[in-house]
Amino acid sequence: MAVTLWKFCNSKLNNSVASCFNGAVRHGHHLRGKPPGVAKSLEQKLEESRYKDPSLYYRVDIGLPPPKVSRSQQLKERLQTLKAQKANPTVEKLARNKELLIDLEEVRQVSATTSAPNYIKNIADHYGVFEHLFGDAYFYPRVSLNIVYGTEDDGLPVYYGNVLKPSDAKTAPKISYNSDKDSLWTLILTNPDSHFTEKDKEYVHWFIGNIPGNNVEQGETIVQYLQPFPPKGTGYHRHIFILYKQEKKIDFTKYKQSGPCLNLPDRTFSTYDFYRELQDDLTPSGLAFFQADWDTSLKDFYHNKLQMKEPIFEYDFPPPFIRKQEWFPLRKPFNLYMDKYRDPKQINKEFLMRKMKNVHPFKEPPPPLPYPNAQYFEGYVPSWLKLEIRKSRLKWGRINDIE
Amino acid sequence: MNTITNKVIRLVGTARFASTNVAGNEVSQLFTNRNPRNLEKMRIGYKPDGFHVDSPGKRYWHKLELKVTGRYVTASIRHFENGEVLRASTSEWAIKKQLYKANDTSAFINLGRVLADRCLQCGLLEINCFIKPPTPDGKVAQFLKAVEDGGISLKEPPQYKPSYPWDQHRPEKPWEVVE
Repeated sequence: MAVTLWKFCNSKLNNSVASCFNGAVRHGHHLRGKPPGVAKSLEQKLEESRYKDPSLYYRVDIGLPPPKVSRSQQLKERLQTLKAQKANPTVEKLARNKELLIDLEEVRQVSATTSAPNYIKNIADHYGVFEHLFGDAYFYPRVSLNIVYGTEDDGLPVYYGNVLKPSDAKTAPKISYNSDKDSLWTLILTNPDSHFTEKDKEYVHWFIGNIPGNNVEQGETIVQYLQPFPPKGTGYHRHIFILYKQEKKIDFTKYKQSGPCLNLPDRTFSTYDFYRELQDDLTPSGLAFFQADWDTSLKDFYHNKLQMKEPIFEYDFPPPFIRKQEWFPLRKPFNLYMDKYRDPKQINKEFLMRKMKNVHPFKEPPPPLPYPNAQYFEGYVPSWLKLEIRKSRLKWGRINDIE
Repeated sequence: MNTITNKVIRLVGTARFASTNVAGNEVSQLFTNRNPRNLEKMRIGYKPDGFHVDSPGKRYWHKLELKVTGRYVTASIRHFENGEVLRASTSEWAIKKQLYKANDTSAFINLGRVLADRCLQCGLLEINCFIKPPTPDGKVAQFLKAVEDGGISLKEPPQYKPSYPWDQHRPEKPWEVVE
């Protein structure tokens, strides 16, 4: 519009009128790119950048096949149950009075054979279980695992990502699952998060092979149980129980560790390699996992059991962006600007030295003032220094690094 | 676009830790926790901030969603990157079997109880909820109450951002608080 008006003025109008437009070039609002309705949104662009070609990136189901049920028979039974439920006056009354509370334990038991394998697989994907243990493979946990730490009555069960403390998991849990007598099983408890030296490896915490039926006690202990030991500062570690169904009896001497095996490098394990080697005879069929984070009981465990110093870690935040220093920074307070380019340790040392000047080694420190800034400045103090002193009195800013 | 996706991967995938006290049983200086939910649980994982003109409901790690259809009700937990991660619906046989009707008030209440139970099992204890119940004691409000009574907090803690030397205050580090 502006351009056409400009041309129009130059060509059509006489010079006296055009002269008033001279020099007044107006740069109006220009739309950069496509207008909002047409351009891609952030979500669309993110989706595009995350797109993976399904012919190259696909995953393989390595689990047991779903149980075969007659759909018509199942439907018939379900319809009957629903009809009976509808005809039940007590249930209707409870439902209408908003007092019908269903039995959650029954929901769990029924869903274990119907919808649970799907949502357990989804949540395991969310926790990256399959990605870190099996790479591009996954499975639906068709066999439901009941794992309880502690006593039967008030034990702590392991589900699909609940948090347990290491002190609760000191001894091996009790395990039960449904199985026929003849089949053989392998149970492995592995932790893909706490390897001390190689980040792609796992520690195997428990390994029982050739379990006849569901008698875990009668299985062959390949690696003895070791409690979780997430180091301080490293957060929550996944501890994953995987139950494999065996096709035949397997010789696990390659993985056998005698004794309690407190030498951690011996416990290094890779589920990916293990499964790759034995995939003809093993089928993953059960899954349960918990997360554990550091607690105070671990100090004793590191010192007395593992015979090592307790490692302590701290998260490494990315450093702040500080732009390149300029010769003549304009409109920047000189003291704050210069401090950004100094060694922070040196600055902290200066703060500490200033504090220590007024600290007496034997007398106790004076009580803090109720109004710390209601104090007179002796003599001439420049305004920038006054501000710094006021900030320190109020415990604002860098003084916090030494307090 | 690349900067945003890279940021997410770096923060979630490779948690880098600098060790302070290491000896004996060989511990490397950098420790990597591969758990993709770890940084979110430690409250330092990336949480999308959204834009200031966005409608509410963009700032969350996990959020609660409720979908009501003609016959059934479905509640699900959505993660900002992974999408729907957990669901419970009255169309599931395990729940429908015990209900009188799959979309009345008691169905909403029981769905809330089942979802809370599953969330506890899956270690998702804090879930953001942007659902505004239309009536104070209607079906949706009762559903939310059932979820809360089940032990789920319907509010997520804010993301902890590191404080720099020139910042006014030093907020408490969430992972240093034990009990």
